[in-house]
Amino acid sequence: MQFNFGKWFGTRAISVIVAVLFCLLLDKVMQGPDKSYYRFLMSLAGIYVTLAVSLNLINGITGQFSIGHAAFYQIGAYTGAVLAANKFSHLAATKPLLWLFLAALFGAIAAGLAGLIVGLPSLRLKGDYLAVVTLGIGEIVTIIAKNQKSLGEAYGLSTAKIESVFLISLLAIVCIAVCRNLLKSAHGLAFLAVREDEVASAAMGVNLTRVKVTAFVLGSAFAGAAGALYAHTKAFVSPPDFSMDVSFLILTMVVLGGTGSITGTTIAAVVLFLIPEKMRDLPYVQMGTPLGVAIGIIVAVVLLRKIQESFHGSASERLGRNLGSVGIGIVVAFVMAKVLVMVPAFQSMINGALFRMPVLAVTLVVLMLLRPQGIFGHHEFSWSWVQKLLGKKSPETEVAA
Amino acid sequence: MLDLVSLNVAGLDFTTLPQQLVNGFLLGAIYALVALGYTMVYGVLKLINFAHGEVFMLGSYGAMFASWMMGFGPGGSAVAGSWVTLLLMLLMAMLVSGSAGFVIERFAYRPIRNHPRIASLITAIGLSLLLQYGGQAFLLEGKKQAITSKVNPFSDDFVFTPKKADAALVAQAAALQPEVDAAQKAFDARLPFEKSKFELSPEGDRLNKALAEITAKRDSLQNQATTSAVTIRLPKGKLIMLTTTILLMIGLWYLVMKTRMGRAMRAVSVDFNASSLMGINLNTVISFTFILGSVLAGAGAMMYSTFQSAPIDPFSGTAPGVKAFVAAVLGGIGNIPGAVVGAILMGVAENLVTWAGYSSYRDAIAFVILIAVLLFKPGGLLGSNKVEKV
Amino acid sequence: MKIGGSNLNILALAAIISGALVGCDGGSASSSSTTPDSNATAGGGAAAPTTGSRKAPAGEGFKVEGDTIKIAVVTSISGDNKPWGTDQLDGCKLAVDEFNKAGGLNGKKVEIVEGDTASKPDQAKLAAEKVLGQGVIGIVGEVSSGNTIQIAKSAFDKGVPVVAVGATKTDLTDEGAHVFRVCYTDAFQGPAMAHFAFEKLNKKKVAILTDNALPYSQGLSDSFRAEFKKLAGEDSIVADEKYESGSKQGTDYQGVLTNIAKANPEALFLSGYFTEVGPIAKQARAAGIKAVFLGGDGWDSDTILAGAGDAILGGYFANHYNNLDPSAEVQGFLAKWKAAHGGAEPSTTMGALGYDAMAVTLDALKRAKSLDSKGLMAAIEDTSAFKGVSGTITLKGMNGNPPKKLIVVEVVPKTGNNWQKYATSYTPDQIK
Repeated sequence: MQFNFGKWFGTRAISVIVAVLFCLLLDKVMQGPDKSYYRFLMSLAGIYVTLAVSLNLINGITGQFSIGHAAFYQIGAYTGAVLAANKFSHLAATKPLLWLFLAALFGAIAAGLAGLIVGLPSLRLKGDYLAVVTLGIGEIVTIIAKNQKSLGEAYGLSTAKIESVFLISLLAIVCIAVCRNLLKSAHGLAFLAVREDEVASAAMGVNLTRVKVTAFVLGSAFAGAAGALYAHTKAFVSPPDFSMDVSFLILTMVVLGGTGSITGTTIAAVVLFLIPEKMRDLPYVQMGTPLGVAIGIIVAVVLLRKIQESFHGSASERLGRNLGSVGIGIVVAFVMAKVLVMVPAFQSMINGALFRMPVLAVTLVVLMLLRPQGIFGHHEFSWSWVQKLLGKKSPETEVAA
Repeated sequence: MLDLVSLNVAGLDFTTLPQQLVNGFLLGAIYALVALGYTMVYGVLKLINFAHGEVFMLGSYGAMFASWMMGFGPGGSAVAGSWVTLLLMLLMAMLVSGSAGFVIERFAYRPIRNHPRIASLITAIGLSLLLQYGGQAFLLEGKKQAITSKVNPFSDDFVFTPKKADAALVAQAAALQPEVDAAQKAFDARLPFEKSKFELSPEGDRLNKALAEITAKRDSLQNQATTSAVTIRLPKGKLIMLTTTILLMIGLWYLVMKTRMGRAMRAVSVDFNASSLMGINLNTVISFTFILGSVLAGAGAMMYSTFQSAPIDPFSGTAPGVKAFVAAVLGGIGNIPGAVVGAILMGVAENLVTWAGYSSYRDAIAFVILIAVLLFKPGGLLGSNKVEKV
Repeated sequence: MKIGGSNLNILALAAIISGALVGCDGGSASSSSTTPDSNATAGGGAAAPTTGSRKAPAGEGFKVEGDTIKIAVVTSISGDNKPWGTDQLDGCKLAVDEFNKAGGLNGKKVEIVEGDTASKPDQAKLAAEKVLGQGVIGIVGEVSSGNTIQIAKSAFDKGVPVVAVGATKTDLTDEGAHVFRVCYTDAFQGPAMAHFAFEKLNKKKVAILTDNALPYSQGLSDSFRAEFKKLAGEDSIVADEKYESGSKQGTDYQGVLTNIAKANPEALFLSGYFTEVGPIAKQARAAGIKAVFLGGDGWDSDTILAGAGDAILGGYFANHYNNLDPSAEVQGFLAKWKAAHGGAEPSTTMGALGYDAMAVTLDALKRAKSLDSKGLMAAIEDTSAFKGVSGTITLKGMNGNPPKKLIVVEVVPKTGNNWQKYATSYTPDQIK
């Protein structure tokens, strides 16, 4: 294939400029004291996208089962917070953005080093054994933080407040770009090969050590950078922010989006993060109502699965039946909710806020039951894929990862 | 016999070492019960059942409701339990956990069994979240509960004293007792003239100080006497736990090794597809395994919340769940004796860390040990270490 | 090694970022120079309010618009701390109902805007930002310090006052002039119990068992340790052990208790919550520890009796008020609570403290010179000798930390609803 450097560099330069402009625009839109809620939401969403995509590199693309990603996130966050509170307090006060950039860099370095230390033993461990080791690393890091006076013990550590949607969204985009470009390169194939079969890929000349350690270090470094930005966004870090639940949430984002799919992971990260947040406005309800809704969901899921398993008609017919099942589910939910609240035992009022997490949990289970391969499966977003969806024949079907 | 009292290395107190080893062993026995559930499910399905901790939690609720039904609830009239009460609570906990395990497998895992197991892992995490947070809404409003200690008639200890206390010190302490009694009497006689025990007039204060002084003197001697002895306490409750664990394990071993169902389970664990070709009903075997593992978790839950008064709330399953999972992996996940060995090793390691004076790093060091073991035995202690072939 | 596309991309990005950074420093970043905490928490045990003036919040606050006065209650409605959080919410609601029934403020009614922190710091921040976006003029804060600090930081930027309910961390109120609390601080509670143990119980050797997962427990243990060492000498702490609640350790405390039993203390200070103190007390007696148990206000729930059985009887803990106190505030509150909850008393102290926090806010509202956050903040700061359920609350010139009376109660066998017996009381002046 002819390599046209000019064209290649041109597209690169344009995409980079577009990305930066986009981040600047986002930053501008999110300015102002009245937007602080949305600014914080946006920042957290960006951070979770970075975390999920970086874990995807380790977990989805290289196939190393890590369930302790919050450890690297925490190392980055504490590195940023401690440095800003001690060594660099002057810089953080006078040139906040420059410091934030440096903090992300320091966080990335610290977490990357930790990733190197974890990555090395991972060479010997597989599957669930590796999972337990990463879980252990997460616990160890949290316990150390809880026991250090200088790290604020179980309470946490205050640090300089520097909010920058620009840097956070830029980090997310860089993380996505790095993972995507890695996948497109020859190195990326090696990563995928390791996921599919370690022994076979080693026999084909893939350097297992280098691939695994690169994945770990790169993934951890991005998590560390995200951590440093998070610390300054909140101006406070504390151990509960990096508990096992957070690791599980990140893992869930990766799997739900479709293991290995960067697009899917990004979308799942935003959606999963937003679900409990959007549920804040749930009103007080009688106990019967959520039970009725639960029954409706069960009915709909059972019907949908039956269609999935045993229906072999045309696509439009299938869609009709699917919609019909959802409709039946909604009707059942409605009726059951009305009926159940007539029973005295189900009449007590429950604060709607209690259903924020259950809604997330139900979403997870239902999505997994209906689409076990994740929302995107192994697919990636690409223009040819869009063309195919729109019914046009594309010259090359692009199924990465 | 080794003289533990005179042994002094790095400031460690070797007189408490035997007790700490016993503590660790008994703690490990509980971890083992929960770890067995993890390891059996993993054995047949190669799936980490993250909802196992929540099955455990439901088991402790089952035990608590059983105790309430027998009159040990809030405002209940029952005074003291007996072994029948405990047995009924155990059965209830096992029943609740077993049913929960069955339902979870049937409706959350079976439909996606043919897909990559990471999908089942996410349904497991989802279920675990659902049971925790759903429990907050529906299970007694998620309030923190505890099974009343009245149900447990076996709350005292067996005490062994390998090395007796210094007789001279004991005698000296005993000699001071009359003086203490006298001071106490004087103070008690003064008390009716005082405003309260803690707001004393100068005279009362003088008597109080005198009492404190002589009591401190006696206590100091008693203290020296106790320190010179080596005692091992075996709480009866824990011995019951250990015995039950051993009985359940023998039962489990018989079931797995000697019955048709057990043979089927082992076959499924060796080769999933081939065993189904040989006429084994996979659904039955997997359901059975789930129920069995969950029942063991229920038994563990009942003993945990009764003999240790562990607080019960919708999140109370996470802690034992994670510990047991780690223990199962340490022993070699999928391997039944491995789970037991791993669990006991975890229990002992944690107590040794505490013994050495690092109780704040108890979990961290337990994990360090785990990582160290896995680095040398990547398949766990008793796990197979085979290399995958292409 | 061949330079892949990814590497070049990073380089190009880095170049642009550094350019952008230099260009827009301070421009697009909203930065407030928050001085880092010193984290020297233990302190000398003095209950003295932090001296020096606190910095005024950055924002301008909100104004009351229309006929409803929005006040937020941000607390742990779900998650690990739900039992405390829901009690607080119920307490706040009682206070607001009472206020509205009495006619509100010149016909304007108070409306509670609820925010759920899910017992997690980042959710606490989200909840705070969300309610602040709805224009609340005041916030009644959290039951724990770790979550309250998040609320306080968000409220600082907006200039909205925060009245914390159960946040005892001593340096919390240094966050800004908008942070107040209705509870006493760790720096008072720990030393008070140290004085009680040393002076009233004549204990010379104590052991401390801390819940390392709780900032509350760590802070309380730190201040107790420091004060007791001052009173009874450096080697008066014979054992200092840790456990972690709600984590991977479950409820086996045999290991730490064996160590403590060996040290043979005269008193054992258990600074954790009742959920763990119950089983600990029971296992401690079984392990042969004869020491008297001491603790903080985290003990206050009768669930402790179910877990501990007789083992906890004769233990002493610091509390805010006593159910048997004949004062109108306490009995009136209990009557109202029972009427709203089918005869049950609040299961934790946070019911009364939540009620007080809201009552202080509403009382300030009546005195506020202007119906906005600034007026409310000034009026809260002006609170003096407010008669609350949990004692008299004065915030004027106290930097947000009311010098409250603390009572020490003894755990006695339960008769009816009562299981606490008044032993003695401390005021901050006595500890200094």
